[in-house]
Amino acid sequence: MSRTLIIIRVVLGMLFTCALVQANAQLHQLIVTVTDDNGKPVPGAGVWLEKYEITPAAGSNGVYVFKELAPGDYRLRVALAGHKPFSKKVTVTDHDMSLPVILHPAVHVLQEVIIQSNTTAHRKKEEQLNLEIIKSDFIQRNLGGSLMQSLERLPGIKTIGIGSGQSKPLIRGLGFNRVAVIDRGIKHVGQQWGADHGLEIDQFAAEEVEIIKGAASFIYGSDAIAGAISIKPPALPAAHTFGGDIHLTGKTNNALYGTSLNMYGRTQKWIGTARVTLQDYSDYRVPTDRLYIYDYPVDLHRRYLRNTAGKEAGLHVSTGYVSNIFRSVFYISNTYSKSGFFANAHGLEPRRVDTAIHDRSSRDIVMPYQRVNHFKLITRSSVRLNRHVAELEAGYQNNFRQEYNRYVNHGFMPAIYPGNMTIPIDLERAFNKNVYSLNINDRLALNQHDLRFGINGEIQNNAVNGWSFLVPSFDQKSIGAFLYDKIAVNDSTLLHGAIRYDYSHIRIHSYADWFPSPLEQDGKTIPIHIVRAGNLQRNFNSITGSVGVNYNLYHIELKANAGKSYRVPVAKELGANGVNYHYFSYERGNTALKPEESYQLDATAVLNKNKWRIQLSPFFNYFPNYIYLNPTAGHDYLYGAGNQVFEYTQSRVVRYGGELQVKYQPWESVSAEVCGEYLYAEQLSGNKKGYTLPFSPPSSLLLNLTFEPVHTGPFHRTYFSVDYRITAAQHHIVPPEKKTAGYAVMNIQAGSRLNIQKQQVQLSLQVQNAFNTKYMNHTSFYRLIGLPEQGRNLVLSVKIFLNFLKNKQEI
Amino acid sequence: MKQQVKNLITVAVISVAVFIAGCSKNKDAPDTEYPTADVTASSAFPRQCSELIRGQIFTATIPVADNVELGSVSIDIHHNFDHHSHSTEVEECNLDAVKTPENPLTLVKTIPIPAGNKTYTVTQEIEIPANADPGDYHFMIRATDKEGWQTIKGLSIKIK
Repeated sequence: MSRTLIIIRVVLGMLFTCALVQANAQLHQLIVTVTDDNGKPVPGAGVWLEKYEITPAAGSNGVYVFKELAPGDYRLRVALAGHKPFSKKVTVTDHDMSLPVILHPAVHVLQEVIIQSNTTAHRKKEEQLNLEIIKSDFIQRNLGGSLMQSLERLPGIKTIGIGSGQSKPLIRGLGFNRVAVIDRGIKHVGQQWGADHGLEIDQFAAEEVEIIKGAASFIYGSDAIAGAISIKPPALPAAHTFGGDIHLTGKTNNALYGTSLNMYGRTQKWIGTARVTLQDYSDYRVPTDRLYIYDYPVDLHRRYLRNTAGKEAGLHVSTGYVSNIFRSVFYISNTYSKSGFFANAHGLEPRRVDTAIHDRSSRDIVMPYQRVNHFKLITRSSVRLNRHVAELEAGYQNNFRQEYNRYVNHGFMPAIYPGNMTIPIDLERAFNKNVYSLNINDRLALNQHDLRFGINGEIQNNAVNGWSFLVPSFDQKSIGAFLYDKIAVNDSTLLHGAIRYDYSHIRIHSYADWFPSPLEQDGKTIPIHIVRAGNLQRNFNSITGSVGVNYNLYHIELKANAGKSYRVPVAKELGANGVNYHYFSYERGNTALKPEESYQLDATAVLNKNKWRIQLSPFFNYFPNYIYLNPTAGHDYLYGAGNQVFEYTQSRVVRYGGELQVKYQPWESVSAEVCGEYLYAEQLSGNKKGYTLPFSPPSSLLLNLTFEPVHTGPFHRTYFSVDYRITAAQHHIVPPEKKTAGYAVMNIQAGSRLNIQKQQVQLSLQVQNAFNTKYMNHTSFYRLIGLPEQGRNLVLSVKIFLNFLKNKQEI
Repeated sequence: MKQQVKNLITVAVISVAVFIAGCSKNKDAPDTEYPTADVTASSAFPRQCSELIRGQIFTATIPVADNVELGSVSIDIHHNFDHHSHSTEVEECNLDAVKTPENPLTLVKTIPIPAGNKTYTVTQEIEIPANADPGDYHFMIRATDKEGWQTIKGLSIKIK
């Protein structure tokens, strides 16, 4: 309770501070209309303001709107392949402005045409893989329990989640170690192999996120076999500024309250930023009074899922030096979370609960629960010399995850926990991981070529603890080198080629049970301490690559890519040899596994004409040796204590599918959108031939209607938006899954910005699951025990921008 | 390199094959049915809330069935003196007070089922040692089919 008071005090303090802040000028719109010689609108041009990291909102008809500009002088630049670049000085005074721009065709191929602009549309047109870029505005609009849940609105993106606060990304049906998450240039490494482990990223600290759907190993190495999610470093503050923002969030379903306070400052060349995030939430509520765990009915107290409460804290500090030639920035961050697991059943194990303890408060966290801490130190430096841009990124990470549970003597464990054990009696599992990473790369612009060369290295140390054993301790080293070239063949065609080599080494440490199991031999029973993992070393290497093409015309963008990706087996796949009592499964690794390979064809076609934007992105994917945890028909007596044997095997797998996005915008203020996604996966060999892959998301269709009024007095960037998602049933399942029925869920979003006390305030409101629909998510950890998803949830979030010092030159 | 060319060819062949297969739609759907373990059948023993006597041998009888082919069965007896977990059944049994185990019975038996059976009755003689702690126990049954679907039944029993 006292923590609540402290947070309220901090928040109130901040509000008063911002009221005292110096006046800051009113903001205005700049509307840029781009047409060609014939007066036809030109969508998809690169439009930006020089020296400012501001991007316009792009309309579908050649209209680009810079929504908030402070009075002052700017230089507007417009670029489009095949056209002469446009540049003009613009002075914003005290009113909104409109500016027509006519682009003339280029007579010769000019060097300036291959221009690096920071606009999203431009970036996407020059990338051979399927790329989505989202900004913090998108996160604010669709704020979910975690960053990945906020991204789930995008077609082809799903999550594997547990409870209301933890989830991992699933790109086109593949997740865990098949999706690389990159945070400020460094691969984020946690315990992503487990279904109940979330991703330790503070979504308030994410300003821009890039999502690559498709085989991306040639850039990011192992793990990016299905795609990558790259959280970009926050934009550097402009010179001579001092400001910040404060974010306040509340959710009704799980009584969440949270705040994130961000401060930044910069002289001409030195920068400093700091962010603190705190969140606290109660058990979440589902639209049902009674659940069935197997045949046993469990009554819920006021529809709360017992013990699903949690709390999170994040701290991020950065400092650095920036000049035209050299820049170097240090980031230090720490995220911490403590969250409970549903008390009545964990995995498949029904548990008797003391309802008096659990139902006393919906906010307390008792056993079973997990505690995760992720510390990160990242440094990024870059040097610009002649035609080179050289970058160096180095990182250290520590991930420490602990799972607490009451001691239960499963299998042959002693009935009473021995007093001489050094492992705490409540510590079921713990994983402690140290990761050191280094990336060096150089980018060279040479005539039509945009060349990149780089080396990535990583060292990992992993230690395990707890009375339950699943994965052995291990060390891992890897190094990779890549060469990438992007060639501008002509005004409309880009060619891409990449090749990469990787080497990695893993050393698994031996592990023996701390308790004896009865070995039956020659009619006698001998107690032995089972050796579950022997000392093992394996080396892997792989060559991967990709070729791609972009073809961009007035209204049409086409891209295609063919690539090979790979993934090194993780320690669990090689060395698991324990019982996962949450699933009554005895999981057996396979030390002979080969690196997983994937061949993928990707294409994207975009038609951008008049009021329509249509994007179709099909893909086809083949794995000659997909690594798969296969539930067998057998039970194991000694190693598995009588549990079903699940063993890691490799099988041939084919997958295909795609996404379709259609947007119709009859007027500037009204738009309608339909997004569809489809995925098919089949195992072509092995014990589960004919079956799909686990966690295959069902097809779904998202219908959206958005109203964004333009002239709304003191309010600006106002929006009202309704999402109606129809999800099909999933009948393609594989042991131990269950078929999941289809459902339809409505979400409503609304928001606006206004100036209060000269400071800009951004308001966002969401109603998630508006009709309190009871449904199950096929990719949730809790699906197997039949837990429905969160009921209706009202999310209110307020962001107040603070500007203490705009620009010294103005004072 | 050879292997990779081979893989590329495989990709091409499979894409055409899948396209054709997708059009013809005459594949057998894989088995998605769980096996059953009938713990309420008249022949079944033990049942929810059954009582077993120390120093005696009883015969566990579990009728199992599957739509295609059975896999194996595993049974497990462990104490529930701490009331840690619940049975999978609707019926509640009277539990004794929570107590500390001294010499509780722990028993694990894995019983393979001969190949080719859709129905089978597992019978297993089990002796309850005379010196085992009396009290509340769980009798767990795990039954699989050939495809790896597993059905779990957890019964509350008492040893007297």
